[in-house]
Amino acid sequence: MTAALRWWGGPIVAFSLLALMRLVLPLAFVIEVLIFSIYTIGCSFLLGRVGFISFGQPAYLAIGAYGTGFYLYYFGANPLIGLAVGVAAGAVAAGIVGPLFVRLRSDYFALVNLALAVIVFYLMQKVLADITKGDNGLWFLTNIASTPLIDIARPEGFFFFALLAGLAVWALYKYIDGSVFGACCLAVKANDDKLRFLGYSSFSIRLLAFVIANTTTALAGAMYAVYLGFVSPEITSPARAADPVVVTILGGTGSLYGPIVGTLAYTGMKDAISKLVGNWELFIGFLLVFIMLAGEKGIWGTLQPLMQNALTRARARWRRDR
Amino acid sequence: MSAATEPIVRADRVSKRFGALTAVDGVNFAVRRNEVTGIFGSNGAGKTTFFNLLTGYFVPDEGTIRYKGRDITHTPVRERVAMGMMRTFQLTSTFDNLSVVDNLVLAFYRAHRGHSLLRMLLSTCRRHRDEDKVMQALETFELGARRDMEVRHLSLGEKRRLEIAMSMLAEPEVLLLDEPLAGLAESEIRSVLDVLRRNSGSQTIVIVEHKISAVKDFVQRLVVMHEGRIIAEGGYDECMQHPEVRRSYWQIETDTVAEGRS
Repeated sequence: MTAALRWWGGPIVAFSLLALMRLVLPLAFVIEVLIFSIYTIGCSFLLGRVGFISFGQPAYLAIGAYGTGFYLYYFGANPLIGLAVGVAAGAVAAGIVGPLFVRLRSDYFALVNLALAVIVFYLMQKVLADITKGDNGLWFLTNIASTPLIDIARPEGFFFFALLAGLAVWALYKYIDGSVFGACCLAVKANDDKLRFLGYSSFSIRLLAFVIANTTTALAGAMYAVYLGFVSPEITSPARAADPVVVTILGGTGSLYGPIVGTLAYTGMKDAISKLVGNWELFIGFLLVFIMLAGEKGIWGTLQPLMQNALTRARARWRRDR
Repeated sequence: MSAATEPIVRADRVSKRFGALTAVDGVNFAVRRNEVTGIFGSNGAGKTTFFNLLTGYFVPDEGTIRYKGRDITHTPVRERVAMGMMRTFQLTSTFDNLSVVDNLVLAFYRAHRGHSLLRMLLSTCRRHRDEDKVMQALETFELGARRDMEVRHLSLGEKRRLEIAMSMLAEPEVLLLDEPLAGLAESEIRSVLDVLRRNSGSQTIVIVEHKISAVKDFVQRLVVMHEGRIIAEGGYDECMQHPEVRRSYWQIETDTVAEGRS
């Protein structure tokens, strides 16, 4: 019982804090943070745990979003089925390109994913314009039917759903971190050859990690589609290709809560700075340079050990005082 | 040839070329069950290349490699491991970003729990850290005090012991060690050899070594390589007396003379 409580403690505290933010911050901001965190955790897992840097995450985000978008525009009205279609589309796409991509070295992997993002962008913008309506995008906000229990067709209901989805995703990644598979992912990153010579298939481990990460990314895309009620090729714009990588590094690569902290910082700064000056990207650029020079640990990577120390010290003091 | 005397690993006329260089040149080689075989030679003699051919790191240009009579020349590494061949690397090869115990868990898991991805996803490392075999390996290789330390913080000797512990955890039928003593201090050499000796007699071992004097009491049969070919094989003394060995390795000659005198 206490073990279960301890295990769930971290994710529950994190998402309770995000829920509390709703009291002081606009709903749209908190929802954006929730979805973007889910978007980033796949990238953070690939980069920090498996050693793959991908500049093509918008491709999988778009595949999820369009999967959901096509369903809600052409076929049905249930947003939950829409989400399931988007996630399934992401898993299938990752399962198709994965066997080709995960054989590549990390630098080629980064570029081949970027190429995929460009391909998806032009497919959605030009080639499939008949069904995607090109740059105008697909609008289906009014098509979305309300759902029982939590009505995710309404922003308040969607917020609650996004909190639960985030909690589930974090629990999943926390479990993976502690699993034998998670250790294998780190092993792939450190020493691929050795893993092979222990008798593991590093190819299957990379492939499964790739599919898990990009299915999560597709979930974020599907959530954007349901929340915004529309999708356009803008979602996979190559100009935004580095966003999740930037947020991953900002938060602390490969750490469990780095993506949330990074997203908060990134989205917060974007909102705050863009109100004051036009070129907010410039500030993010300088900040990134600073973070890399300061030791590559990111915000969470720096804060977490400090907090851990403080906690241990506080505990020791409490024990002594008793 | 009966099953008992049939060599467990056998190489027939195996060659490997890198461009113009013939690194391994028509080598015939056999490892008998439960015997410790040493492959010895100077740098560039082709030992490590030959070792890489046996373990499947490279595929030979010519010749065949057999394991228990079965042709494994083109068998991938993973299957060779499943059949019972396990190797270590000359540059110690561990997972530096994992703790000592998790390195052992990964070695243990593959050998005793299989490689189903779903099961790997569902089972936690924590549950396997207290397995008897993992705890025993920590104790045997004197790594207990380093149990939860990340491997990047270990000394070279400790990493070597860990790597050998990992290969032994898999309980291979043939253990292939690539220069397990390179770069170690005298005391560390002794502790590594002690551990290996505990299992000799019931374990087939192939050991590549540059510093032959360190392992001369340990190996039962020796193969001496020079310029890609085997120039002598047999017992230690027999090999050292071999005229071609003496000619190719004047270093040994002076060594043995010095030892004879003392």
